[in-house]
Amino acid sequence: MPTAPKIGLLKGLGLTLKTALTPATTQQYPHVKPDLPPRTRGVIALMEENCTVCFQCARECPDWCIYIDSHKLTVPPKEPGGRSRTRNQLDRFAIDFALCMYCGICVEVCPFDALFWSPEFEYSEHRIADLTHEMDQLREWMDTVPPPPPLEVGAAMPKEVQDGQRAAAKAVEEAAEAARAAAEAAAQAEAAAQPAAEPAPDFDQETYDRLLAEGKSERVAKAKAKKAAAKQRSAAGGQPGGSASPQADDGGSGSPQAGAQAAAAAEPAAEPAPEFDQETYDRLLAEGKSERVAAAKAKAAAAKRRRQASEGSEGDQ
Amino acid sequence: MESILTFDSLLFTVVVKVLVIVAFFLVAALVVGYLEHKVMGHMQDRTGPMEAGLGPVKHGVGQLVADGAKFIQKEDIIPRSADRWVFAIAPGVALVPTLMILVVIPFGPGVWAENLDLGLFFALAASGVTVIGVLMAGWASANKFSLMGAIRDAAQLIAYELPLVLAGAAVALQAGTLSLVEIVERQNELVLFDTIPVWYGVPQVIGFGLFFVAAMAELNRPPFDMPIADSEIIAGHMTEYTGLRYAFFMLSEYAGMVVLSALAVVLFLGGWYPWPGADLPDGAWGAVIGTVTTIAKTVILAMVMTWARATFPRLREDQLQRMAWTILIPLALAQIVVIAIVIVVLP
Amino acid sequence: MSVPDLFMLGALVLGGAAALLVVTARNVVHAALYLVVALVAVAAAFLWMGAEFLAWAQVLVYVGAVVVLILFGLMLTRAPIGPMAQHNENRKFAVAVSVGLFALLMTLIVTTVGDATLDVTPVRVADLGEVLYVQWAFPFMVLGFLLTVALIGALVLARREEGEGPLPDEGPDDARDERERAPASSDVTSAPGSGDAGQQIGAP
Repeated sequence: MPTAPKIGLLKGLGLTLKTALTPATTQQYPHVKPDLPPRTRGVIALMEENCTVCFQCARECPDWCIYIDSHKLTVPPKEPGGRSRTRNQLDRFAIDFALCMYCGICVEVCPFDALFWSPEFEYSEHRIADLTHEMDQLREWMDTVPPPPPLEVGAAMPKEVQDGQRAAAKAVEEAAEAARAAAEAAAQAEAAAQPAAEPAPDFDQETYDRLLAEGKSERVAKAKAKKAAAKQRSAAGGQPGGSASPQADDGGSGSPQAGAQAAAAAEPAAEPAPEFDQETYDRLLAEGKSERVAAAKAKAAAAKRRRQASEGSEGDQ
Repeated sequence: MESILTFDSLLFTVVVKVLVIVAFFLVAALVVGYLEHKVMGHMQDRTGPMEAGLGPVKHGVGQLVADGAKFIQKEDIIPRSADRWVFAIAPGVALVPTLMILVVIPFGPGVWAENLDLGLFFALAASGVTVIGVLMAGWASANKFSLMGAIRDAAQLIAYELPLVLAGAAVALQAGTLSLVEIVERQNELVLFDTIPVWYGVPQVIGFGLFFVAAMAELNRPPFDMPIADSEIIAGHMTEYTGLRYAFFMLSEYAGMVVLSALAVVLFLGGWYPWPGADLPDGAWGAVIGTVTTIAKTVILAMVMTWARATFPRLREDQLQRMAWTILIPLALAQIVVIAIVIVVLP
Repeated sequence: MSVPDLFMLGALVLGGAAALLVVTARNVVHAALYLVVALVAVAAAFLWMGAEFLAWAQVLVYVGAVVVLILFGLMLTRAPIGPMAQHNENRKFAVAVSVGLFALLMTLIVTTVGDATLDVTPVRVADLGEVLYVQWAFPFMVLGFLLTVALIGALVLARREEGEGPLPDEGPDDARDERERAPASSDVTSAPGSGDAGQQIGAP
């Protein structure tokens, strides 16, 4: 016998009616960009400065979609009479996203944090060969990598952050001690009427500003600025009478300026700087950039401004 | 009352009536089809079509027009082993009866094509002919799924035609006429217990339910879409059809929704009167208000069909047959007996 | 010849041609479809003679039900597509019977009706109802009773007796469910003891 219709039929009708009266969850994708979580596996970005050409990513890739070419480069010795070193120069780094299966193993295995996930996903092409993204294109995706999401409440700090904080605290202590020592040394020096040589900066501000103005990314500029400073230092180190040793700036073991720098690093919240540069964001949006790219670049611009501000305050000290 | 589409010249009258009916048929099917897309989408937490539009109005209002354009462009494929002629004319045979029913449906005072003395009888007779088109399509396709779908459809139509006709007969019994126009007029005069004016949908609520369920089954609307169950037999009798001929089948489904909903409105929901016992002004205003009322009620009923489609799972073939023969038909017969007794006993 | 006469002639020619095709068609399904045309033509003829109710009844009953049943039965049994050889031994006999019947009917009609003119005033349904349910109420009820008896008889014949073999749906499945349910319930009655034992073990 057929069972009589029960109240469930009406419940079903009620459910569909309720669903019909609540707003739909559909995202109008091409018109409204999806709100993707920061760890979305959209595209893989490459920070080429961090890459040491260790080939771990290419070896671990399950479908062999990473292509790396490199050559050995001989770096002249830093000090005269020293041993010249070799290092790997990256010539080509390409990921074939037609092959990639977005497993993320390459990002996981990279020992030097050179590969990152970006939520950007709109890179379809008419030709399949165009899906092979070369180094410059992979570098551009770096701009769209969002900052890591905040830790959950109660979660342990990552090890590298703990190490960094410990090092910073240690640096502050050492800096204080060094300042005392420096004061004594200054008194002695005054007594000896011998002006202390100024330590060479570890960062070439001029190069940094120029590169930024040329439109290079902040990281590139910073790396190159450091390189330039190192070059100047080694050039200075070769000169006789240069009393400032290059080691002086490796951990604040001497100069008061280095101590101040470390202190500034240890107290980052001294001056609340904006985390987001609205002007850059609006301009990029007006230029037709995607929302995420604009947001990423705006944040980068804000970070740059913060850094410049803190450097300015250092100069005052 | 004369139809407002009647003119002095017989030929001109015929031409105007045919044009108006065909135009209404096409527009109504498009509108109901579009509304079904949207309503069902929202019931499934989607938005339905959003892109195709007419000019600046988006929200998918042009979706079915675009679909129609697509259907026209498609290649008209007739399978090699198909029975060419029967295959070719089957969609027309399925479509025309639905069109014929529109002839007798009154939309407002004076707004009808033909006030047949036997309007209800004509409508029910015409609705039964649709199945011949389906059987032709299923058989001529030379495809086992098509044939199975057609046979299921025929079995379903035979089973559900009975409660449909019996529910209609109960209305005719109470109204004392078979003319749809007069049924509407008598219905508006019905007063329960000398105080509450009601439509036939109230005393005959069972009949209304039976009619509505049977109408959904006649149209192969889910949950009664076993004859075109895609998970079992692809698309039933429509499996081998493409392009315009397929569009004809879809058109007859949506137009059938409109026609049978309109019939239910006329029989049970007071036709063109906005509320029970209402009085419409004479002349053009009455016609306009009446037509708008009928169309609004029809669309609401068609959306209830969509509501059921979005809610209930498909009935199995044996459940379908058992529901018709063991529930609907006995209920319909019992209801006719009760109505007949009540009409004889009560003055 | 007036316009109605032309329509009438058209319906007759169409119906006659379709009827001829019904018996000469090489394919049974085609024959059934030609039958639809013939029946619709007859309905049209009824309509032009003012018998509106009869016309729609013709459509409802013959086109909508009888032909559908014929097609349904054909397709459920065997309905090959394409022409097939009609192995009919009785062809000559059938032709003879048809022609004889036609001649007989024509003779009867011509002798009884002759050249009387037909009154084509439309018959109102109300009048028809008056005739059927008042004037001829008793024969009508007898007919209805007869049909009901036939219907019940058909039901009795089609119905399966108890133990005559299950219906596809309610037989084995339900019975098996019953059987499976019974031991399950006995398990439930024995369950509390084992449950207590488990609790005792778990308690300390």
